[in-house]
Amino acid sequence: MTAEKEKTTYWKWLPASFALAGIIVFVFTTFGPPASSSGYVSTLKGAIQHLAPEYVGEREHYRMMPDSGSWLFAFVLGMAIGGFVAGRTSSAQVSDVPQLWRRRFGESKAKRYLATFIGGFLILFASRLAGGCTLGLFISGSTQLAVSGLYFGVLIFVFAMLSARVVYGNPDKEET
Amino acid sequence: MNLEIWLGLFSGIAFGFVIQRVGATDANKMAKAHLMLEGDIPRFMIMAVVLSAAGLFGLQATGIDNTSILPTSLVATGLAAVLFGVGWGFCGYCPGTTWAAVGEGRMDAVFALFGGLAGTALFAHFHEILIPLLYGPTNVGKITLGDWLGGKVPGLAALIVLFSLCIWGIGRLWGRKQHG
Repeated sequence: MTAEKEKTTYWKWLPASFALAGIIVFVFTTFGPPASSSGYVSTLKGAIQHLAPEYVGEREHYRMMPDSGSWLFAFVLGMAIGGFVAGRTSSAQVSDVPQLWRRRFGESKAKRYLATFIGGFLILFASRLAGGCTLGLFISGSTQLAVSGLYFGVLIFVFAMLSARVVYGNPDKEET
Repeated sequence: MNLEIWLGLFSGIAFGFVIQRVGATDANKMAKAHLMLEGDIPRFMIMAVVLSAAGLFGLQATGIDNTSILPTSLVATGLAAVLFGVGWGFCGYCPGTTWAAVGEGRMDAVFALFGGLAGTALFAHFHEILIPLLYGPTNVGKITLGDWLGGKVPGLAALIVLFSLCIWGIGRLWGRKQHG
């Protein structure tokens, strides 16, 4: 397990939280509560409205969101650019199949891609039902002292921990 | 292009950069957080909320108020959180980190993005059925800690105390197994 002991160059959580909070307050100053799951709706609306304008006009979920010519889409696109720049300028290793996953399910990329497709499907379906995600509901909501954000936040952490236990098994046993 | 789009793009770039740098786009690191092996990401998220809440309080004191609170629906918000948690623990990505991880070049995140678009499309298709069914009946409104505690200041104080306790608890409980 030498790979696991590899030094990562990740930032420490405390200074990084100041950086993120600075950005969040900037967003509250210049726009409103930051959100990312809404950006998926804007992406789809922008793509679909040219192909099927009547469909987009009929559906409340697309009517209530701006299309891709909006802050919401620019923000998620920006996140991809930010991730790209940060990835190119850091020494952090990028792998298509995470190590813990590999240990449990093997090297298969197809299996991992299927899993992340299902996971992505679940988190976005759920976010659209709740009206927001980790950022748009938990972080933005709790920043505004909203009960919805705190309620959502507690449950997502608890169920993610339970789900990870089931998916990865008991990590103590794997170590011995 | 109008200013709003440039602001969104700039904010997104900064946000994506920071979450990559702290390791939130690393599904392996996220799995370690969920398995209680490493407390960095949850402490980072919770501390960011504490600081943002204090910052927003100061911002509102200057008269800038762009807040928008989502209602709490006991059933819809709760059920969504359960589904979200299961999916998050399963794949290690959130809707936001997915975009940054795609930019970083993680192929599994590309599939999470496709899955996310499919999930969004499905929900959007059934919005008219699901919202009245799940969201409406138990919607208790746009309530905040301030409403419960009789003011924004006690609400903010409660959030800071509560979240500080979480950060302290995570520091105590997470990562013990790896070293002990």
